[in-house]
Amino acid sequence: MDRYQFEDLISDYIENNLSMNQRKQVEAYLEENPEAKQQIESVKQVMASMKSMPGISTSAEFMNNLNRHITAEKEAKSVVKSTRSFAGYTPLMASLSAVVVIAVVMLGLEFMPESSNQATFTPAMTEQQINDLPVLPPKPVLPLKTNDSMLAESEEDSTNYDEDTPVKRNFDDKIQLVGDKRP
Amino acid sequence: MADEFSYTDEELIARFQDGDEQAYVELVNRYRNRLMTFVYRFVNDIEKAEDIVQDTLMKLYTHRHYYRNIAKFSTWIYTIAGNFAKTELRRKKRHKVTNLSQMGFDDREYQLPSVEPETGETAQGHFAEKKIQMAIQELPLHFRTVVILRDIQELSYEEISKIVDVPLGTVKSRINRARLQLQQSLKEFR
Repeated sequence: MDRYQFEDLISDYIENNLSMNQRKQVEAYLEENPEAKQQIESVKQVMASMKSMPGISTSAEFMNNLNRHITAEKEAKSVVKSTRSFAGYTPLMASLSAVVVIAVVMLGLEFMPESSNQATFTPAMTEQQINDLPVLPPKPVLPLKTNDSMLAESEEDSTNYDEDTPVKRNFDDKIQLVGDKRP
Repeated sequence: MADEFSYTDEELIARFQDGDEQAYVELVNRYRNRLMTFVYRFVNDIEKAEDIVQDTLMKLYTHRHYYRNIAKFSTWIYTIAGNFAKTELRRKKRHKVTNLSQMGFDDREYQLPSVEPETGETAQGHFAEKKIQMAIQELPLHFRTVVILRDIQELSYEEISKIVDVPLGTVKSRINRARLQLQQSLKEFR
């Protein structure tokens, strides 16, 4: 056993956590090295000193301060709770509710039968009232005019325009200028 | 009242989770001084230590439902306190606040004045305590945590392993190394 191996086992030796074989090896090393024995005693002393160090107590105001912090925490929590809810719903709950309502409406429209899409209304007149309505005379049936017959009846044909004898149209009686006193 | 003292920590936290605030008060009374000792030995500043213990017990109040009955309550609460303490030390390191190692001990003496005049023996005891406290501050954080939990708080290796979340063998090795380093430091003080 060398010095490093010995040092690795010091705590286990002091706390009696070594196997019988390891313990014999350490004791053999201690017999050969008196300074190692001194080191063991020194470490034991350190451990004892640390164990005997006085405990530290919290100050007299500690509990009051802690209670103050807890009260502040409770108040902060209640404020957050009240500001984050509307009529008992948190924003998250309100959003989820809105989504659910929209989804239900959309699904309802999707699965609604087509016949029910027709408008239903209560008739304003009963069957009897409808039967009592006066019967109108039948409309005279006008002969059906084709495009050709309509063109033949036309007084003028815009396509028969004679460039040599332009038709002079008198618009005098149809035009009245501003300030014209003529009747 | 006698019944309250017979409850285990785990029963008390279960009652607190069910809304019994008296159980919380009992847990606070059981742990505030233990945590104060642990945190003070770790950060070496009495005011900071008290703030950290306040934060720890507030977290117990606000995060009570985070505790699951798969670990000991003490493991859970020491883990919270240890994390707060490490955060504080990192913050202090960033802000480079100096000379706190000297202030911590004096502050404690100011807040907890001795009623009786110090005899030679108690003065020597305080001197020894101050030396050990200074030696602890020289340890790396991962050594400091485990040696305080073992040699001052007297927790088991298994519990320490769970608190610091490292394997049992590593914890044992760190504690051994921390003791050797303390022994060396204190030898130099003499």
